[in-house]
Amino acid sequence: MYLVANIETEICAATSCKLCTQYCPEANTILYDNEAGQDQGFKYGAAYVAVDRCKGCAQCVWVCDNMAKHNAIKMEMIDQIGDTALTENVTYGEKTSSAVLANPVRGQG
Amino acid sequence: MSLDYVKFTPGFGKFMPKEYRDMVEHGPFGKKVSVSQVGTFKEILEEHPMCAGCAMTLFIRLAMVAFPNPEDTITVGTAGCGRLAISQAAIPFVYGNYGDQNGVASGLTRGLRLRFGDRPKDVVVMAGDGGMADIGFAQTLHSWFRKEKFTTIMLDNEVYGNTGGQESGMTNRNQVLKMAPLGKKFEKMDMLGMAKVSGCAYVATVVPNNPRRVESVIKKAVLVAREIGPSYIQAYTSCNIEYAIPTDKVMEDAKTVETDRYKFTEYITDEAKEYLSQLYGYKEYLPKPAAAVEKQ
Repeated sequence: MYLVANIETEICAATSCKLCTQYCPEANTILYDNEAGQDQGFKYGAAYVAVDRCKGCAQCVWVCDNMAKHNAIKMEMIDQIGDTALTENVTYGEKTSSAVLANPVRGQG
Repeated sequence: MSLDYVKFTPGFGKFMPKEYRDMVEHGPFGKKVSVSQVGTFKEILEEHPMCAGCAMTLFIRLAMVAFPNPEDTITVGTAGCGRLAISQAAIPFVYGNYGDQNGVASGLTRGLRLRFGDRPKDVVVMAGDGGMADIGFAQTLHSWFRKEKFTTIMLDNEVYGNTGGQESGMTNRNQVLKMAPLGKKFEKMDMLGMAKVSGCAYVATVVPNNPRRVESVIKKAVLVAREIGPSYIQAYTSCNIEYAIPTDKVMEDAKTVETDRYKFTEYITDEAKEYLSQLYGYKEYLPKPAAAVEKQ
């Protein structure tokens, strides 16, 4: 098993920084959902990781901890992460994107 | 080379992979996108085989977001790490033989101008420090002296990262590398100085530590190359393998190097300033009011 980045929505949705989306060396890996925190009453959206593209470099962790100082990203084992975003479940909208969560090891459902 | 070239052949859309459909429906073609919007649209760059945490990949990704007209852009590259990512993008990529990239780009630029006339077609060369300052040095410099109108971007990782860590002209003096055990014997080449001497209209150094600055620099360089003359960007893109930087410390290293020896510099000719301010609304290059000039 291997490590991938996992973003805590509660911490991320409390701010509007989006720094991790700009510092990830992989394209379309850290995506941003403008409506992620809405049902929980958060003001902003949140970033999320399409884990099938994540190479586990942890650059986003450094950026979130040291530049943004939010400590919202942790590296977690792919089989321990629970339901998460995968590229095949991502849909793009007008200036936003969202993903149906699925288990990265077992697949959807 | 138009907004239509990524579209599906009628009836074949449903057979295309999801990434392709996303690119056609939610890609940046024909839209104005910026670095602050990444994560909400499908990027031109796709999955690539470059190392985890590579700063060069980050720079390439940001550059591709920053292209002013991605649908009218062709990238040219050569051997080296960079081409592994540059070629995995939804814009045409031309592979110049090692060192040939600026020669290939010269011909390509001239051909596109003959074929499309005034419609802007941008050619962007992205190659490593070895391809540009060592093996392709003559062609790079000669294309600048000939005032070929395209953008040259050096992905400067200060080493031959793809072949095991030999020193390049852009490696710093005394740097010990796996294949340079005695340390480099001469100074880092002053490519910026040479770019200015040979007549580049826009020259800048940048570190991917600041994505918005990368975006701004790339946009200016590509726009200047359309009408005024050659533009050159030298980007510090560390090799975390050959310089043994832990992947999560790559941005920390970029920050240190930026403050130490790779400060942001920008050189722009008066002609290019006038062009950018008049055609593209760059307010910082507008002529200063008479009162402000007197104060200085």
